[in-house]
Amino acid sequence: MTDTSSASRPYPARAATFWRSYSRNRGAVFAFFFLVALVSAAVLANYLFPGDVEAPDMSRIMLPPSFSAVLGTDYLGRDQLTMLVFGARTSLIVAFSAGGLLAVVGTIAGLLAGYFGGKVDGLIMRIADVFLTIPILPLILVIVSLTGPSLLNVMFAIGLTSWPVMARVVRSDSLALMKREFIEIERVMGASSRRIVFKHLLPNQLNSVLVYTSLSIPVVILTEAALEFLGLTPLSVSWGFMLNVAMNYWIRGTWWMSFFPGLAIFATALAFYFVSEGLKEALNPKLKRRRESLVAQIAERKK
Amino acid sequence: MGLPAYVAKRALVAIALVLVVGTLNFAILHLAPGGPETIFLNPRITPAARALILKSFGLDRPIQEQYLLYLEGMVTGNWGLSYFYTESAFNVVASRIPATLLLMLPSLILTVLVGILMGILSVRRPYSFVDRFLSSFAFFFYSMPVFWLGFILLTFFAVTLSVLPAGGMISITTTGFDVVDYLRHLILPMTALTLINLASFSLLVRSSMLEVLDQNYIVTARGKGLSERLVFYRHALRNGLLPTVTMLGLFVGSILSGAILTETVFSWPGLGSLTFDSISRRDYPVVLALFFIFSILTILSNLITDVVYGVLDPRITYD
Repeated sequence: MTDTSSASRPYPARAATFWRSYSRNRGAVFAFFFLVALVSAAVLANYLFPGDVEAPDMSRIMLPPSFSAVLGTDYLGRDQLTMLVFGARTSLIVAFSAGGLLAVVGTIAGLLAGYFGGKVDGLIMRIADVFLTIPILPLILVIVSLTGPSLLNVMFAIGLTSWPVMARVVRSDSLALMKREFIEIERVMGASSRRIVFKHLLPNQLNSVLVYTSLSIPVVILTEAALEFLGLTPLSVSWGFMLNVAMNYWIRGTWWMSFFPGLAIFATALAFYFVSEGLKEALNPKLKRRRESLVAQIAERKK
Repeated sequence: MGLPAYVAKRALVAIALVLVVGTLNFAILHLAPGGPETIFLNPRITPAARALILKSFGLDRPIQEQYLLYLEGMVTGNWGLSYFYTESAFNVVASRIPATLLLMLPSLILTVLVGILMGILSVRRPYSFVDRFLSSFAFFFYSMPVFWLGFILLTFFAVTLSVLPAGGMISITTTGFDVVDYLRHLILPMTALTLINLASFSLLVRSSMLEVLDQNYIVTARGKGLSERLVFYRHALRNGLLPTVTMLGLFVGSILSGAILTETVFSWPGLGSLTFDSISRRDYPVVLALFFIFSILTILSNLITDVVYGVLDPRITYD
């Protein structure tokens, strides 16, 4: 984006360049297709597996994997593969919505802090510090258990508590941009704050926002699964809740009841991680080289 | 500003944070459907007990008075009554702290030792096979749900092989505290928790060490003709580990989250399984008390981290 020569090129060429550097990371390509397949399966779940997912079948209770039930059946005789595909909906909805929410809140907070600086910056960063200090999972647990475990509450609880890292990234980039000459010139020419923020600060950072969003989605997925595992679930068909149920049965050796839902969570989180790696390398070669400076981070905390 | 003033300032920040957490608790209580009355009142209690609880929390008074009373209660340990145990939520939570520490501390020590070892192996030859292998290990476990790892370990070692106990901290049959018995119960949950924590910690050691190896004084040390071994272990390691070990304090929050889930899978009788049980019993006063304890533990370890770092690293200015 910062590179004007690629911005002026027609879109297909840019897409091709992007894909060329993205596909250099084979793990990222594989992960991308895995996620596409998962999203399609989740969308088409009703057609792939017609009938009531949750209908119990007492004649097929806790069967190990076989030809008739590839991933086995659960304690109510329900097919685990069907449950996993329907469960993908919960995970993906929360992953994208909470991920989107934290990206939006974090970007706005970071832009405000970076553009205005001074007291606004101080206030926003102190709020961010609070969320970075207090343990997030217990906080989300309290919020969701007291406000009621609906999908919307889970999404808001995760999204509204996980934005500080994003805000820090956007803020530090904004602060750096604000010192550049082209912004100085814009200001001298009388550009409005809105123009500077939306024309310069935001477009220049969309890439890193995208990268950090995809990087935070694995954490969102694990958090959401943890909430369901702990019993805070709005829906009975979800990966985390399947593991919650499996907790009562593993002692009988029903490994398939815990193995497959956990594998689904793990594979999806890992896939998002790989995609973020690929995006990082393809969108912003600078990010690859810029090491997260630990000493600088700690020194910054002391201010 | 000297060191005492710096410590005092950090302590003030910590107290402010505790206040913020208390306020957050209060806000969540009032945002919950039905408000604090539904949260604090056990539906099965007598009208007399109801009146007593309403009075002790001042729920009949204006909201600003309630807020002050609530904060006062937080200080004096009046965190409400557990529905399930019918005793103070504070006592219920406090009685579970030792078990959690008995799981967290061994895991933390192991994480630090192995993490440093992994970090050193990685940076001895950056981008070599060993480095890439260890980095893959890290993001593999970074994406893994700790409770799933727990299930896998349990199914394999406790069910299939049945060589290790299937949960709990001590066997029901033993009387008192038997160390060998405790250690046998510790192996699986500690392994799960440590593997997950190692993921982020070893990456931290790695990046911190790489950064130090880039510094001018390393170039100088090499230029002086010191052996590579001396440069690495004397100059780089010491300086590289300092920020890493102190960063651990900032990790306590995520370590606690991991401990909640690990304890639940392994029915370890600490704060984590209490969280799980209290949520399923809708024992809200205990849930809130747990959150408060978790926050205090995190804030305290942050405070200790800041102070230790201030003492150890002369480059930090106390401004």
